[in-house]
Amino acid sequence: MAPIEIEDLTKRYGDLAANDAVVFDVERGEIFGYLGPNGAGKTTTIRLLLGLIKPTAGTATVLGADIRDRRALTGVKTNIGYLPDTLGFEERLTGTQVLDHFARMRGDERRAELLDLFRPPLEKPVETYSSGNKRMLGIVQAFMHDPDLVIMDEPTSGLDPLKQDRLHQFLEAERDAGTTIFLSSHVLSEVQRVCDRVGIIRAGKLIALENIDDLLTQSGKNVWVHLEEPVENARFLTDDMIDVEVTGATIQFTYTGDVKTLLAHLVQFEIVDADIGDPQLDDIFKHYYGDEGETDATNEDATREDTTAEVE
Amino acid sequence: MTAILRLESRKRIRSSVVLVVVFALLSALYFSMFPSIEEDIEELMEGFPDFFFDLFGIEALHTIEGFIAAEIYSFFWVVLVGIYFAYIGAGLIAGDVRDRKMDLTLSNPVSRESVALQKVAALWTPLVLLNVGVAVIVYIGAIVIGEHIDPVALTMVHLLSVPYLLVCAAIGLVASVIFDRARSARAMALSLVFVLWLLDGISQLDPDFEWAGVLSPSRYYDETAILVREEYAYPDAVVLLVAFLVLLGVATVIFTRRDI
Repeated sequence: MAPIEIEDLTKRYGDLAANDAVVFDVERGEIFGYLGPNGAGKTTTIRLLLGLIKPTAGTATVLGADIRDRRALTGVKTNIGYLPDTLGFEERLTGTQVLDHFARMRGDERRAELLDLFRPPLEKPVETYSSGNKRMLGIVQAFMHDPDLVIMDEPTSGLDPLKQDRLHQFLEAERDAGTTIFLSSHVLSEVQRVCDRVGIIRAGKLIALENIDDLLTQSGKNVWVHLEEPVENARFLTDDMIDVEVTGATIQFTYTGDVKTLLAHLVQFEIVDADIGDPQLDDIFKHYYGDEGETDATNEDATREDTTAEVE
Repeated sequence: MTAILRLESRKRIRSSVVLVVVFALLSALYFSMFPSIEEDIEELMEGFPDFFFDLFGIEALHTIEGFIAAEIYSFFWVVLVGIYFAYIGAGLIAGDVRDRKMDLTLSNPVSRESVALQKVAALWTPLVLLNVGVAVIVYIGAIVIGEHIDPVALTMVHLLSVPYLLVCAAIGLVASVIFDRARSARAMALSLVFVLWLLDGISQLDPDFEWAGVLSPSRYYDETAILVREEYAYPDAVVLLVAFLVLLGVATVIFTRRDI
């Protein structure tokens, strides 16, 4: 049985469906990215999985426990780590006291090891913490009891790039050691960097569920070619090239066909330089969100996070 | 599983100590006044209308027991401490839900019932600190001004107030699981405890309306009867304990069923 199995999970608030018949599984030992703009319903799914809110319809199992069965769900929480998006620590306690408190409920055999990697100022009261320090304290408490499944809601928010890298490396090591990680994010590069599979959610609906590699393959290749001199478009362009942009002797496009065919095609021309690479998830994101996403403010916010290699 | 009990108990110490200090100051004030008031008590009582004494259940103001019952217990203990417990009760759940502490708490292998019960159990800190602290202060205060208060009656006035204070806390707890904001829950609980106390007092003024105060927790705790007449109404205390358990049950059921 997969650590997380979600079946038609639905949560309505009046007319608004925060989660609308969401279906997917998270497999053992993978890092699953739950991607979507703010307000898409990521946190709702996570809070449903933890039994904090009740589904309107459908259900899910977490480590074999049905989320509608409170007793069973409470039982499996010994083996779950949770990093919420908003960290509600007891503000007057010091970091050490906060960890002691959680340790009494579920153990802390890996605390020292984690504190070597993530170092919040343990002696100080949490109310003096920066958001990055709070996040680090949250990471330590989520992993310190060596859980089988860790659910993280926007795990890198507030962390500086160096700490983000450290977290990503750590997550990969945990995954390799068999831990299942379910993380939500609106940061595309993060999901691309660290996740094995990704589910994309928009307005409560799961709109894509893919392996990261497949997602990139299906989305074609980003190609950039610099020719010695401009050529006629009709001669150069093929049907597999989309989103074409020609500037003098430089041509940029997304290639949806087979790479070998593309290379065979390119050698017919006098090429000075060329680059064939995976598109940023950013672009794929736009592809999935399509026209609808254009006017969506939160979506724009989300894509602004990662603007490297913007091809438009 | 007592981690929450432990944490919550610690959180109550500071405010309880502050309240004990407030009572120490109040007691000092009243005890210093008593010797002079004792002499002019007749004149003083004429200055107030009769309903005033009925409202607060004041009698035998010329004795130290009657005086202390009137000045310290009938208002400050019953209303102020009652409201303090309602205030704490109202913050127990709503506050944590609001600032998302509850998300982290419930990510632990602990049931919602256990969370609610441990939080209520942590009320032992203010109960013990206040009851012991204020009893000792009053007892010593009486000795200092050369009076003597029956230690048994004094113990009983505190002991029998425990069920009353628990009911106040449970009223707060019910508000705490219903309202999303701690502020609304507190406002609701505070007003309710105060209005019920007022209702009890006012209904006592007219025998025809005495029934109106039957739902007031303060109806079942009579500090003057205990201190002045040494009447210990155990059945009333049982009524309060039952009411406390019912409210606690209701609050727990609501809390386990709701979204947070």
